[in-house]
Amino acid sequence: MAKNKRKSIKEAVQLINDGDMITFSGFTIWRRPMAIVYEMVRQRKKNLHLIEVNSGTHGEILIGAGCVKVLETCWIGHELYGKVGANAARKLKSGELIVEDYSHVHMIMRFAAGAMGVPYLPTRASLGTDILNPEYDALGKHGLRDGSNPRIPRRKFEFLTDPFFGEQGDIIHVPAARPNVCIAHVQQVGEEGTVRVYGQRYSDAEAIKAADKVIVVAEEIVPEEVIRQDPTANLIPHYLVDAIVEQPWGAHPTGCFGYYEVDGKFIRDFYSKTKTQEGFDAWAEEWILKVNSFDEYLYKIGFRRLDLLRANSSYKYSTRVKRGA
Amino acid sequence: MRNNHSPAQPGEYKLIELLAVAGAREIQDGEVVFAGTGLPMLAVTLAQKTSAPRASIIYEAGSMDGRPAHLPSSVGDARCEYRASVSSGLLDVFGQLQRGVVDLAFLGGAEIDKYGNVNTTVIGGDYYNPAVRLTGSGGNPDINSLAKRTVFIMVQEKRRFKEQVDYVTSPGWRVKKWPGGEWVTRQEAFGSVFRGGPVAVITSMAVFRFDEETGEMYLDTVHPGVTVEDVKNNVGFDLDVSRCRGETSPPTYHELHLLRNVIDPEGLFLGS
Repeated sequence: MAKNKRKSIKEAVQLINDGDMITFSGFTIWRRPMAIVYEMVRQRKKNLHLIEVNSGTHGEILIGAGCVKVLETCWIGHELYGKVGANAARKLKSGELIVEDYSHVHMIMRFAAGAMGVPYLPTRASLGTDILNPEYDALGKHGLRDGSNPRIPRRKFEFLTDPFFGEQGDIIHVPAARPNVCIAHVQQVGEEGTVRVYGQRYSDAEAIKAADKVIVVAEEIVPEEVIRQDPTANLIPHYLVDAIVEQPWGAHPTGCFGYYEVDGKFIRDFYSKTKTQEGFDAWAEEWILKVNSFDEYLYKIGFRRLDLLRANSSYKYSTRVKRGA
Repeated sequence: MRNNHSPAQPGEYKLIELLAVAGAREIQDGEVVFAGTGLPMLAVTLAQKTSAPRASIIYEAGSMDGRPAHLPSSVGDARCEYRASVSSGLLDVFGQLQRGVVDLAFLGGAEIDKYGNVNTTVIGGDYYNPAVRLTGSGGNPDINSLAKRTVFIMVQEKRRFKEQVDYVTSPGWRVKKWPGGEWVTRQEAFGSVFRGGPVAVITSMAVFRFDEETGEMYLDTVHPGVTVEDVKNNVGFDLDVSRCRGETSPPTYHELHLLRNVIDPEGLFLGS
């Protein structure tokens, strides 16, 4: 019998230490582990180093709450529901946040390197851009590439030429992403930790495999023997997972394929109210700090709203929620 | 005599509809197209329903040749996967992009220069303390680097069409070669993986293209109701207007019907 990995949201968040390098499942406003993110704000996590293929609403909440010191990513915003990451922009200007820009391919290759246990991987993407400008090396500029933190590489990029085929032009080497923790929200997890994702897997496999510690929140915990009946449908073996949490709707307001839609109205409201720190603090007071648990948060959202967001079982998204103007 | 395929008259269509149609006309049948959120989704879906039914769309979150029943709100949307050929993830689709399978890409930007260098990262101030911090690159520079042709769709304003952009997020026809920073041609920077680059910029006022020799932007067509002078007044660099071919073709009634009643009846991007 494998050890019991089941945790409450509170217990799972206690596995995250101040100063940790953190990554997440999902893509922009899809399948983000929001129940954990809210609890991280309640437990007042500090000095986190977010390293993400792309960020989104979850990143904006952690940054607005002052939990984050460094953000390494290629993008932060809320898609159709908020055009920029206003909290990241504000904290960058005030000097409270360090932002390191890479491109999407750079970041996915960094995670692929981390997942495969190699220190770097080569790519040809995004040559000729200021992403590669040595003056715009934010971690270097802040003295964080001195080797004292083994998870922060000594260089942002390295430029090489192809030694094998003699191809012309620079090859960029990007350093591996090596986060302490990956927090994932998925549709199903087995009792022993086998992970199943429905729909697009985004960069979940690379994010989970690159991390030392893996917390998986699932819409449902299912019998391990059932999830093993179709192993080709599974993404991650149980032994890579440290903690499992069952939390239906746990990705709200982000979307979850086959379960529920993005709550665009909620995200747009967050975006419009949190452009200032006062605005963010008031929003966080209402939706995070005055709410003791994720269940209480769901009560506050309300049954009718959640029901409208619920996915149609054929389409895998809601056909009833109003999306447009 | 007017029929469904007659051009609509000014006042009968919205600007965004004209842009979607202009975008759709860049797509050849059978091409593999990499598209981002918003207008590009309207353009590629319209092309699939008119002139390019065999075009395949890759969305960067990981879906290949989906045939959405409802317009996706983002590339991560479950709607992208409806009747898709394959649904996987970023490593797969960006790997295919790098491998060279993508013919055409649609992208956006906040600022552009005359060589097609685009900024979506920071505006004003300096990089570490910018006046405006934007989303960052996303896949824009990757897609623009590695597709055979790129079309940008942007708002036309003097402050956005600049001699030099504040930050090069996405590479044009003349770029800086790092780590040294010397200006080189795109061909030189990309070497063996040079496949092409930006071919058109579709804006709220006009369509621009790039000279094959110099890599400089020139005016190709102006939208109905816009003059060449209007365009020049909204470009911050010396613009070649000598090759302007006249007006951008307006949408047909059939295209407007498809956009309004079939592709985006919810008004997700077209508005109400």
